[in-house]
Amino acid sequence: MTGEAETKLRLPLAFSVPKVFEDHRNEDSFHRSRKGVYALSDGASVSFDSASWARILVRRYARNPEFTPAWLAAAIAEFRKLYDRDSLPWVQQASFDRGSFASLLGVRVIDEGRLIQVFSIGDSIAVLCDGDCVKATFPLSAASEFSRSPQLLCTNPAQNVFLDKVDFNYDLVADWTFRGLERPALLCMTDALGHWLLSRRDDDPSPVSILRQVRTPGAFARFVKDERAAGRMRRDDTTLIALW
Amino acid sequence: MPYEAEISREHPTCFLFVIDQSGSMDEMTEAGRSKASFVADVLNKTLYTLVTSCSKSDGVRNYFEVGVIAYGGSEVTTGFGGALSESIVHPIQAISEHTLRVEERKKKMDDGAGGIVELKTKFPIWFDPKSAGGTPMRAALNRTMETVADWCERHPASYPPTILHVTDGQSTDGAPDEAAEGLRKLSTKDGYALLFNLHVTAGGGAEIVFPTADADLRDEYSRTLFGMSSPLPAHLARFAGDKGYTIADGSRGFIFNGDPQCIVDFFEIGTRPKLVADR
Repeated sequence: MTGEAETKLRLPLAFSVPKVFEDHRNEDSFHRSRKGVYALSDGASVSFDSASWARILVRRYARNPEFTPAWLAAAIAEFRKLYDRDSLPWVQQASFDRGSFASLLGVRVIDEGRLIQVFSIGDSIAVLCDGDCVKATFPLSAASEFSRSPQLLCTNPAQNVFLDKVDFNYDLVADWTFRGLERPALLCMTDALGHWLLSRRDDDPSPVSILRQVRTPGAFARFVKDERAAGRMRRDDTTLIALW
Repeated sequence: MPYEAEISREHPTCFLFVIDQSGSMDEMTEAGRSKASFVADVLNKTLYTLVTSCSKSDGVRNYFEVGVIAYGGSEVTTGFGGALSESIVHPIQAISEHTLRVEERKKKMDDGAGGIVELKTKFPIWFDPKSAGGTPMRAALNRTMETVADWCERHPASYPPTILHVTDGQSTDGAPDEAAEGLRKLSTKDGYALLFNLHVTAGGGAEIVFPTADADLRDEYSRTLFGMSSPLPAHLARFAGDKGYTIADGSRGFIFNGDPQCIVDFFEIGTRPKLVADR
């Protein structure tokens, strides 16, 4: 039943641009599928190899969206195999030991939106919309919350101790539904875009209506460039997954 | 708003460590090591952490510029040796490339499966302990003021320099407060230079950490160092509070007779500007 519904899902739009357009290095990573599993990860700028870590996290989430301590340990083990720690020069070894950091936002759209399960660690956010109106956001709900240092998944297990105090099925998860919404839409985004949206959520035109017009990678790049130039968006790798 | 500039390669910030290497720094601490040896070890670890916090797999990014000014006897010199001895302040990438040597140490780490593993770790050394002669603190702070003034002129939009001064006491070349005041008046557009003082002593007395007044400080040298210290800006006060220290409005960046952990924390708190570029 669920499987049949999954095959009917549209593929969401997805766009990502780097912090510096000319640089092309982008430490965000994302995954989307017609099965209704979407994942997005924002690698922290100053950590050893957050781009690889973000890629591992979204790929593993897409394959198995049941996040557990064993899931995380396996992801860390996969990352650590990318490098021969003992042969690294001291600077890289120190940075490798400190760890690579990234957020993880995962979404499962089940039964055509009867249930939408959002999982999040860090400051990448999911937004549930009805038309141009924001109905819910997770895990952050105010622009001011982006000024705090987020807790991120790290390749150094000692940095993940915050998870010991977290209820994985309660603190990290939000359950939403498209039912009852006239024009439901679901957006997933990294922090620069999340801050942009939440800081003008009551503006006219609404930020959702602005994003709704962005339909191509070129349009997304122009939109981000313009907002950065106007000082309305932070300069950072910026990613959007949008199921309109 | 002060102390809010984004730290980036275009707008780095500066950390300057001013280290007393006078003869009295060879006094032994309760842990059985000389004060000079302990301070050298903490400084090497702090430099290691600063480099690490700017490092990625493809290299070190110049978010910080770092200098060490050492004073003892009749000398005020750079605390760095080798290729770094030509000038006081260097980009963090140059610091990472020019160590005195790299030692092998053992480090315990979480293995990710509930256990602890002991790993061989390469540990760089930039700074060896020294202790001889008098305490030319005033000359050292005047040299620091010249260095900071030059840096601020070249980086007017940056987060202002932070100076961490470690001493065991009495200046032997005159009162240092005037130089300290001049130093604290230097600024970038993002705020005044920050001068934090650590008074290490083997003479006993209660530990006093980030005080708001000098009433509990018993000797005039401690009171002078307290008076020379900048108030902690809000983000550093918050960080110190998160580490368990009692912070009040007006707490100054000053520690008297701190235990070893307190000294480590002094360096960690002092070198923690608001790293907007971090994310």
